[in-house]
Amino acid sequence: MSVKLKEVDAVIIGMGWAGAILARELTLTGLTVVGLERGPDRRPAEDFAIPSIRDELKYQQRLELISDNSIDTITFRNRPDQLALPIRRWGAFLPGEGVGGTGNHWGASHWRYLPDDFRLRSDLQERYGNSIPATMTIQDWPVTYNELEPYYDRFDKICGVSGRAGNLKGRKIEGGNVFEGARSNEYPNKPVASSEGGLMFGAAARSLGYHPFPAPFSAASAAYKNLYGVNMGACEACGFCDHIPCEANAKASAVTTIMPALRQEPKFELRTRIFASKLIYDGAARRVTGVLYTDLKTGKEYEQPAELVVLSAFVFSNTHMLLHSGIGRPYEHPTGEGVVGKNHCYQFEAGAAALFADKELNPYMGAPGGSLIIDDFNGPNFDHTGLGFFGGGYLLGLSGASPPIGGRFLPPGTAAWGSQWKRETVKWYYHSVRFNTQGSVYAHRDNYMDIDPVYKDALGRPLLRLTYNATDNDHAMSRYLLSRLEGIIKAMGPSHYEMRPRPKNFSVLPYQSTHNTGGTIMGSSPHDSVVNRYLQAWDAHNLFVMGASTFPQQHGYNPTGTLGALALWSADKIRTDYLKKPGPLVHA
Amino acid sequence: MRLVIQRTVASLFLSGSAFATDAIHGKELFTACLACHTESPDALGPSLKGVVGRKAGSLEDFRYSNAMMRSGIIWDESNLRDYLRDPQAKIRGNHMPFSGLVNASDADDLIAYLNTYK
Repeated sequence: MSVKLKEVDAVIIGMGWAGAILARELTLTGLTVVGLERGPDRRPAEDFAIPSIRDELKYQQRLELISDNSIDTITFRNRPDQLALPIRRWGAFLPGEGVGGTGNHWGASHWRYLPDDFRLRSDLQERYGNSIPATMTIQDWPVTYNELEPYYDRFDKICGVSGRAGNLKGRKIEGGNVFEGARSNEYPNKPVASSEGGLMFGAAARSLGYHPFPAPFSAASAAYKNLYGVNMGACEACGFCDHIPCEANAKASAVTTIMPALRQEPKFELRTRIFASKLIYDGAARRVTGVLYTDLKTGKEYEQPAELVVLSAFVFSNTHMLLHSGIGRPYEHPTGEGVVGKNHCYQFEAGAAALFADKELNPYMGAPGGSLIIDDFNGPNFDHTGLGFFGGGYLLGLSGASPPIGGRFLPPGTAAWGSQWKRETVKWYYHSVRFNTQGSVYAHRDNYMDIDPVYKDALGRPLLRLTYNATDNDHAMSRYLLSRLEGIIKAMGPSHYEMRPRPKNFSVLPYQSTHNTGGTIMGSSPHDSVVNRYLQAWDAHNLFVMGASTFPQQHGYNPTGTLGALALWSADKIRTDYLKKPGPLVHA
Repeated sequence: MRLVIQRTVASLFLSGSAFATDAIHGKELFTACLACHTESPDALGPSLKGVVGRKAGSLEDFRYSNAMMRSGIIWDESNLRDYLRDPQAKIRGNHMPFSGLVNASDADDLIAYLNTYK
């Protein structure tokens, strides 16, 4: 029997990027807010300090910041006709846990989608006629780039992003990304130092007529005071960044850029080690009355009533929560009817590595922001006529920030262990450059999430089941990106190189990308979406769902920039309109 | 302290406001330090108010590295200058994630500001 707690103005489930943004914005309007977080609190002064922080084994190999599969996981299968099995150790993707969420271990690639990405289906129809396959369930976003731009800009100023604009108010600037949508302001900080391998990649790309630019990196390249008055330090190029929190208070996360302000806020209460299990849904009133949760420290169950409920967990937990709470019509695979669980997408990343015998590249230092990138082959940026696929992605080259275990590459044919392996490892570590292609994943009717019929979590709830495989379209897209990348690598003149295409069937074992999207997608009608353009659930007007689970499909960029902009856009609408007159913000 | 006074006196004669410029520039440089060195209980670094003349590693509410606590240093302009130019060379094994000020004049300016920061 659960204990019913005193009602609060707003309860937030999941204290990652989106949850922290909403907590900050809502407390600024005077609301009392409770933040629920399944993992522990994470405090930089205690948890992210030198020397223990520079530990690839702990963070990257042993998954220190990643959610606990013995409490909750998902089941997985490639095809609807297979039996799904539970993922007992995260591999391909790594949902974070604890305050800051997945934003603690991100590589801080901070992107905006292109203006035409937001009108994907319309754009493809205009360009290529009625050639979108019936199985490709992509759709336009219910929000435009221009509407989101002020919120992209605000999120830049929360994160202290470092980069170089390529399109300022419509004026194209050589040296930045000339393909990007118009920005109202330059990046808050200059780019961090480019890596030598990145510069070599950039020079080769330029010689082939492409448009290289420094990576937009969500870490401050110089000391920076952000939008919430929080001081950030300068990136020290320590070499430990991706998968690892920042020791210098420079890499943006909810913990470094928002929580310091929230911890001073008397209207905010943080509750950690809380497993939110169900939204209490009043179907007749079309609203959520509260959240049922279990305190993992005591095992006791509580009901937290609230006027406003924000669901801001990872993609899987958001989708699972709605399915388990009976909110919205579940997606049914054979018919394509229903919306909750629909359009699971991913990031189709495929890489390469190259060795340069005569270059000393100091790969132990640097940051992911030291990459150089070309965007010439992202979705709307090139002609797809006759190519046999839609989509694309950016191409990246980087030396540096290569950790000692995962950051090694040896010439093809080298022994995998023993004295030859040791000799070659020492010989080549200093000479390697790595590459990546950040491919889009366009929704397919066979890739979706629903409730698993067999397996249950620690609270006895049936697990979420993910059915996903790489599609022919995405494989063709990726092969094309790799062929362009190979051209650049050859122009760099390497001693050895290796292209790494993805195998035909997606596997949950090797790490690939944590950019899962979809399941509670946004759209212009309840028939094709779970939430409206303000991320408000069609079926419960006081429920707002945040995060990449609302993306209709995944484009050729990392999702966090758009995730943050959408949270700020939604928070603004809640503040200016919803709180004055609670009810549906869009009438179906 | 004498060094600053001498510089101040000299600069008054030479250029009028050189000291003020130094400390103002030092205050600008100090924004980088403020990312960690604040008065907040959650701060990543110890407070630097009154650091000149203080024993290294001596604030009770901050958990210092052993290296810092055993250094035996009383902060003055000379050892601060060495430390700010190359923290790991001066106190090997300390936990400050900062690789040092490249320009010698920056260290002087920052120290000029720290002298006024109480």
